[in-house]
Amino acid sequence: MSVPADQLPVGIAACECLTPLGDAAATHAALLAGTRALRMTPVLGREGGDPVPLALLGPMDESLPPRWLADLRRLAARIPAAAWGTSRTPVVVTSSNFGVGSLHAFTRDRDPRHVAHGTPFASVELLRKEFGWGEQVHVFSHACVTAHLGLAHAARLLHAGLAERVLVFSYDFVSPFVAGGFHSLKILNGLMPAPYAVRETGAIGLGDGAAFAVLTRDGGPFYIAAHALHNEMYHFTGNEPAGAGFAACAAAIAAAAGGRRVWIKGHGTGTLEAGRLEAGELFRQFPDAPLTGWKGSLGHTLGSCGLVELALAIAAVRGGRIPGTVGGESPAFSGNVALQSFDGAAYDGAVLSANAFGGAHAAMLLAHD
Amino acid sequence: MSDPLLLQLKTLVVATLNLADFRPEDIPDEEPLIGSPRLGLDSIDALELVLAIEKKFGVKIGSSEESRSALASIGTLAAYVRSQKPDA
Repeated sequence: MSVPADQLPVGIAACECLTPLGDAAATHAALLAGTRALRMTPVLGREGGDPVPLALLGPMDESLPPRWLADLRRLAARIPAAAWGTSRTPVVVTSSNFGVGSLHAFTRDRDPRHVAHGTPFASVELLRKEFGWGEQVHVFSHACVTAHLGLAHAARLLHAGLAERVLVFSYDFVSPFVAGGFHSLKILNGLMPAPYAVRETGAIGLGDGAAFAVLTRDGGPFYIAAHALHNEMYHFTGNEPAGAGFAACAAAIAAAAGGRRVWIKGHGTGTLEAGRLEAGELFRQFPDAPLTGWKGSLGHTLGSCGLVELALAIAAVRGGRIPGTVGGESPAFSGNVALQSFDGAAYDGAVLSANAFGGAHAAMLLAHD
Repeated sequence: MSDPLLLQLKTLVVATLNLADFRPEDIPDEEPLIGSPRLGLDSIDALELVLAIEKKFGVKIGSSEESRSALASIGTLAAYVRSQKPDA
């Protein structure tokens, strides 16, 4: 059953990201060139382990202060000035990792200073103080659809008249703890990801990423016109085998996108079953829309992927050229997978989707004048 | 049960997953391990089993597809372990 999408349009006053390839403009340029940020790296960092594809902003080891703080300072310097964290201009922080790598470092080193920013709320509190935000900070975490939920929440705050502007801020940095977990599931393995490719073995990469967006009630050249959210609640890690969750979410966002000429930035991690189901359902709803995905270059930035890839989608539209599926191969799961970059001029919108453990699915409609 | 590896693997499954209602010899060699209504194992159990098997036998399962194929039954699991450790 498909739940109708939230159609609460909000303007995007600012949006930026940070990846191992640089800011949104630099990352967009690198994706157009087919650059892979992923590098084969020992899964447990300095502790070694099998080589797996990781895209990192720095060595994967938890330092004091945590390695992500300097990168987030760099990103936060680009947030437009406002009294962020007050009732009319709240902050929504989204992450699936927060400072979990520091908890791993604590178990390894027994240095209590790691714990000070290891838990989700301690990690956000560090950012709040660092960036001078007030107390109105909402924290969201729901696996890999986290940023989508944060953006949808911000749209609801704006439409309910509870805020004038909302800063949505997302960050996820890979740690040995998280890389080791995905490696245990064997979906992070010795292969580079090839999103949507029909091949014998699936593989994902993981990546560092952070991003922010400032949302307003006023329209702008770019706005988020709709959000579709669906949770099939089938299993912790598995999708409903027939793809019912993918279908419900795709149908809802397709109904909201009716009449628009869209391209699609899919989730496309590189796993086989989810890739097949995702590509199949998106093709069913959008047979004429090219489908692209960028995790074959940047790796999966987990809970932040929705916001990182929103910033990249905006950079792509601004630049007039949409990057193709880096790392993709032919044959693909559906006929609309774009392996090469394509001209953005023919479109007036984009569907951006994400899928998560727990059978959670999300999509948003990015529109522009 | 003639192959001692089969009993070793069944014992490992019962112990790793705390299957209190099962004795190792209650698990037929060809019964599906994952998705079987009788055993009730799921993908989280599969993750635990893979780690236990890698640790006990010193084998490496390379991908989720390989893991799914190896864990089809005790019989396929024994064949997988033996393909990497012929003396197991």
